[in-house]
Amino acid sequence: MLRKRIITVLTLNDGTLFRTKLFTPDYRYTLNFVDAWSVDEIAILDVTRGETPDREKFFSAVANFAQTCFVPISVGGGIRKIEDVERYMTAGADKVIINTGALESPQLITDIASAYGAQCVVVSIDAAKRENGFEVMSHFGATPTGRDPAVWAKEAESLGAGEILITAIERDGALQGYDLELCGEVAAAVSIPVQVLGGCGNWQHMTQAFKLPGVSAACTQNIYHFTEQSIASAKKYLAAKGVPVRV
Amino acid sequence: MIGIINYGLGNLRSVLGAVEKLGHKGAISADPTTLALADKLILPGVGAFGDGMRNLTERELIEPLSEMVRTQRKPILGICLGFQLLAEGSDEFGEHTGLGWIPGRVKRIKTDDASLRVPHVGWNDFEQSRDCILFDDVPDPALFYFVHSYHLETDPDITVGTCTYGTPICAAVQSGNVFGTQFHPEKSQRHGLKVLQNFLERA
Repeated sequence: MLRKRIITVLTLNDGTLFRTKLFTPDYRYTLNFVDAWSVDEIAILDVTRGETPDREKFFSAVANFAQTCFVPISVGGGIRKIEDVERYMTAGADKVIINTGALESPQLITDIASAYGAQCVVVSIDAAKRENGFEVMSHFGATPTGRDPAVWAKEAESLGAGEILITAIERDGALQGYDLELCGEVAAAVSIPVQVLGGCGNWQHMTQAFKLPGVSAACTQNIYHFTEQSIASAKKYLAAKGVPVRV
Repeated sequence: MIGIINYGLGNLRSVLGAVEKLGHKGAISADPTTLALADKLILPGVGAFGDGMRNLTERELIEPLSEMVRTQRKPILGICLGFQLLAEGSDEFGEHTGLGWIPGRVKRIKTDDASLRVPHVGWNDFEQSRDCILFDDVPDPALFYFVHSYHLETDPDITVGTCTYGTPICAAVQSGNVFGTQFHPEKSQRHGLKVLQNFLERA
């Protein structure tokens, strides 16, 4: 049986690991929690601000992970054109994560999918809560786009995306649980696997997310740091609750 | 030396990283002379079948590789797309001819269960259906990492094991010196590394 995935998200600012809160680098930390044998997948995002940040330190950090963790690695942050992708792949990415670049030029999704295969394209969507539903935000969650996340996810799928990563901006670093309404709407809108991010504060939150049809991966960023709990303990909990995970 | 065939698709570095982690020398190359010196070959790859065959053709690799695999019987391991390319052909985005080193065709994964999404992404149970040195000292079943939208329909006689995703999916084959896995051993942690090690040391 296909297992639900636990994905560890690492955010790097200028080549250094930071945790984020409300989409802002909060403080730096070390990688003492990455339990290399339990994690199912790793996502590494460059959150360095600026028009043309120097990404070489970021790429060398990615290459380090790729050499020591024999699990799939998705990498994103700053991909705007198809020519950018090659550098991320040679650093060790198995998939790339695109967000603002896809909003600015939806054709980018199709271009990457044709060159590297649909399974290589994770379209990341950052959503903010509004009075009536949710709005897609670009540029590190700062710029409103007027788009509905479920509609955008569906469009991304038809353009060739292999997976969707949906993030609730208000939940980032809040540890109050995933935004189940947002995640449910997006997962129901598409027929490709969906990863959810933002708000995981305990293992029960993961169970809630995995109950939503179509959610195939729960992403976490901060939880291990606060609680010093391991991915292995999360999986033990989930397995006891009947969620199929790799233990 | 292990020759990792570079045909412009896929994460070759991670395959090389795994080979080196296991204490073997590897070389990523598109040069038939270099590949001819290798004790064993790995054909990795992700992406589309048509692109894979086109790239192999453009790099004039098909004839020298066929000589090494079919005539000299050099062991080869195809991974993911590299595994599918071993077959006779594929229906991915039109009809394509494959390397034809093993029987079978590559077709889109079809399931009746709408909750099973395509691509098939993640860790799934591999169940062995016949003995193969690739899975020596690997538990049965064991979890491996899969990521694909198409799968190989082939002769049960060469199928070493399957996983289930609505329908049985051929997950590994062996036909003489030709080995292949639909899953990514280089991304499947300890069991994956064991499969690679078995290929490197026992094939």
